Amino acid sequence: MAFQSPSFRGSRSTSGGSLTTKLFEVNWLLMTLVGLVGLVGVAMIFAATDGVWQRGAFQHLTRIAFGGVVMLGVAMIDIRLWYRLAYPIYVLGVILLVGVEFVGVEVNGSARWLDFGVARLQPSEIMKPAIVLALARYYHDLPDWKVSDVWGLMGALILLVVPMALIFRQPDLGTTLLLAATGVAIVFLAGISWRVISLASVFAAVSISLFFKFGLKAYQQERILTFLDPSRDPAGASYHITQSKIALGSGGVHGKGFMKGTQRQGEYVPENRTDFIFTVIGEEFGLIGGLMTLGLYMSVITVCIWLSLQCKEMFSKLMILGLTTTFTLYIFINLGMVMGLAPVVGVPLPLISYGGTVILAVMGGFGLILSAHLHRGVELPRTT
Amino acid sequence: MSSTPQKSQSDKNKITRRTAMLGAGGVGVFGVLAARLYQLQVLQAEDYRALSENNRFNFNMLLPERGEIRDRFGLPLAKNRQNFRLVMIPERTPEVEKTLDRVAQISPLSDRQRERIRRDIRQNPKFVPILVKDNMDWTTFSALNMRLHDLPGIVSEAGQGRAYPENGVFSHVLGYIGRAGDKDIEVDDDPLLRQPTFRIGKTGVEASQEKTLRGSSGKLKVEVNARGRIVREWPDPKTRAESGKDVWLTLDAGLQEFAAKQFATEDEGDDSGGICVIDVITGELRTMLSMPTFDANLFVSGLTQTDMDKLNNDPKRPQYNKAIAGGYPPASTFKMVVMLAALESRLIDPADPVFCGGKIRLGNRNFHCWKRQGHGKMDMRDALKNSCDTYFYDISQVVGIEAIADVARRLGLGEKYQIGVGGGISGIVPTAKWKQDRLGTGWRMGDTLNASIGQGFVLSTPLQLAVMAARIANAQEAVMPQLIIGEEMQNFDALDFDPRHLAYVRDAMWAVTSEQGGTAYRHRPFAEGIGLDTIQMAGKTGTGQVRGISTSERATGIRKNSKLPWKLRDHSIFVGYAPFDRPRFAVGTIVEHGGAGSKRAANITRAVLGEALRRDGIGSTGANEQGALK
Repeated sequence: MAFQSPSFRGSRSTSGGSLTTKLFEVNWLLMTLVGLVGLVGVAMIFAATDGVWQRGAFQHLTRIAFGGVVMLGVAMIDIRLWYRLAYPIYVLGVILLVGVEFVGVEVNGSARWLDFGVARLQPSEIMKPAIVLALARYYHDLPDWKVSDVWGLMGALILLVVPMALIFRQPDLGTTLLLAATGVAIVFLAGISWRVISLASVFAAVSISLFFKFGLKAYQQERILTFLDPSRDPAGASYHITQSKIALGSGGVHGKGFMKGTQRQGEYVPENRTDFIFTVIGEEFGLIGGLMTLGLYMSVITVCIWLSLQCKEMFSKLMILGLTTTFTLYIFINLGMVMGLAPVVGVPLPLISYGGTVILAVMGGFGLILSAHLHRGVELPRTT
Repeated sequence: MSSTPQKSQSDKNKITRRTAMLGAGGVGVFGVLAARLYQLQVLQAEDYRALSENNRFNFNMLLPERGEIRDRFGLPLAKNRQNFRLVMIPERTPEVEKTLDRVAQISPLSDRQRERIRRDIRQNPKFVPILVKDNMDWTTFSALNMRLHDLPGIVSEAGQGRAYPENGVFSHVLGYIGRAGDKDIEVDDDPLLRQPTFRIGKTGVEASQEKTLRGSSGKLKVEVNARGRIVREWPDPKTRAESGKDVWLTLDAGLQEFAAKQFATEDEGDDSGGICVIDVITGELRTMLSMPTFDANLFVSGLTQTDMDKLNNDPKRPQYNKAIAGGYPPASTFKMVVMLAALESRLIDPADPVFCGGKIRLGNRNFHCWKRQGHGKMDMRDALKNSCDTYFYDISQVVGIEAIADVARRLGLGEKYQIGVGGGISGIVPTAKWKQDRLGTGWRMGDTLNASIGQGFVLSTPLQLAVMAARIANAQEAVMPQLIIGEEMQNFDALDFDPRHLAYVRDAMWAVTSEQGGTAYRHRPFAEGIGLDTIQMAGKTGTGQVRGISTSERATGIRKNSKLPWKLRDHSIFVGYAPFDRPRFAVGTIVEHGGAGSKRAANITRAVLGEALRRDGIGSTGANEQGALK
């Protein structure tokens, strides 16, 4: 039984219906929520660029729209194809990362981009869904008894460490950590035993401290140390954090009003169109705007988890939860950084920050989630 | 490839359980984020709002325009001009060195300038603008303005600079302005002084009239962006800077310049010395000049080491204000003092002659008259006219140093005048007590003899000599010199000498310049008065010895000043006033190493006095009438 033929279960679950049927069965709630977040992004980029439509807001809107189409397109594709493509996509991602290593375009001291002439591509963004696909398939295929076994763990680690190492070399600490956390979450969800978890935690604690000492560039160390003790360098590295907190705090409960943020107007918060866009929300819409944004994100995540619970296949569940984890970690790291709870690592706020590849990757990820949900009735083979 | 059965139900539950755990963790983190938002935006909102305002608003201090300094006719001697400069606001400049490099590409910065900028940045709060470069020409300034977007924290401004247009002849009087030093800030808490671009008077009138000239600062609330660029100005609260007030001097720029020209020589550059012209009635100084001069503008734009060395190594010491700080032996000009003291003491009958045989013997020491062969019989008037040393050696022994010193003081010697230019000295009017205090030895008669011809311990400045001449000419009041118009005029003390005695002295001074045989008469110009019809001057020559005269020199008679090196030549001194019969101006002149007083100093005084009278309308009235008749 190499490939099981699709079977139909339940009256509503379908996978082989016509395209129109499928379109109706897509979870439109998630589509809407994702679109809403994207529109928040359009509004905030509009504000961050002093109301100049052409300086990002328009592009963002186009990208969201295009992303929505991609999302739907990905959703339409049969989950079995994604299952089959899991490893090829992963390999492609690794190849692109290796490409960055040799012909990457350097921006702000780190080479993260591949220039294809018409567009620049950030392979590390592709790697985020790719690693989820690969690990989901890996654990889908892995027999239960091997999950906590050394060899089973090894396979997962290799899948994880290769792209992590490549991304770390760019260097991009934020994405590396994000990948690691996503991987750990999938391994956890796959059912690894608590014994292994506790052992790994001890090992991780030791290796992280060694890694900090020897594996980080000076500016990366500085960022983390500054985060831990902001008084180290009030005018230098912690300038971002300080100005960001001032923007948020001065917004108060109600905010200063759309387009009225003075921190923003004064250009005190750098990168407020991209990584620090939440400062614009917090400054102009205050606590209310901030909490509404958090609420919007939480609803997206809740819907995703709910969708995962409806899936039967391990691959689908792990993929949905893995992608959701990535998405959630994006939010945590970004907001933690903006609010001064985490070091400045350069992670965008998904769907709101300006930046093309991220939107495509994130919305493509949501497409995968929708596909998994849409094809929840389809049975997947197991390859061991 | 094989397929295994579906994962067991326990696995399904397991993944659901773990999903719930992760979900719970996620909710927890969201909770933390929400709590943090609450903390920032509600609990600490006020603090951050204040910080945001801080960010947003700067109170820019508006610097007042410095008052101008003008001469008595309103001609500006120190004025303001546009000064194109760059300042840096360090808190808005992330990379100071890189930014300075970029500035230097357009307008070079020396290591010294860079060091100063770094020091200023270290020593000031980060929001205080630091001067990067000033006094830039327009081309460089506009080139830099084009690059400002590349230069975070750099602000270009057209500020006020100080200019001294009158060619250096007022440098000693005006002084110059500069950055406030730590000591200035200690005694003056005006926040303006902490502004690195602000300048205060460091010396001269600029320093003494600082309070008048400075004005007071204004405040402007501006909204700035992260790069320090002003987004908008807020009209309120705005206080204008109050400009400083102008200071008017009693000096006459034309006369001052005329006087400076008189110090020029054919082959040795400007002579070194000082001259003061004083109004005999009001005490107003029409000229106060120290030669040679220096260009005070150099001090404003920042002196180079070469300029500095040149000034410091010049033997004529251009920076030194000889008019009030140069102490010279008054030499024979002191003889009026001795004369007046003798008359006032009534111990000497001016008609009693003294025989001058060329020297007088006191103990085992000879005191020589300048005329080796002697003057023969001299009464008091002849003694002054011929400047006979022997006569004064003789009478001073009777009059005594204390009486001489008393008259010297009453005539204005030995006093440091507060005229608004710092750095004056009091000179020395020696007495027995002075010598005891100062040197710890007793007064000897020889000291009196030396003092009687203005040598030995006696030291005076050109200003004091001018005051002395003015008081003798005034006869009624102890005229005090005044330099700044508008300062409260005090009534002068009465001079309190017998008018007949003063008249006698004045007559003798007239004889010096206007009678056959007078020491100043022998030189041709005085035969023709001072260049003005019917106006005569009175005066007295002085030749200040710089060195002892050796016996061999005395024997051979080789004392020709022109044969000596400059440094060893006598100082040429002259005091005088004019017109003789209705005194208007008095002058004290010293030309360092200028030889006999009857030559250099007398010539300068004559010319300057003539010019002073001409500029005052005396003597020209007649000429004008003649012109009108034509």
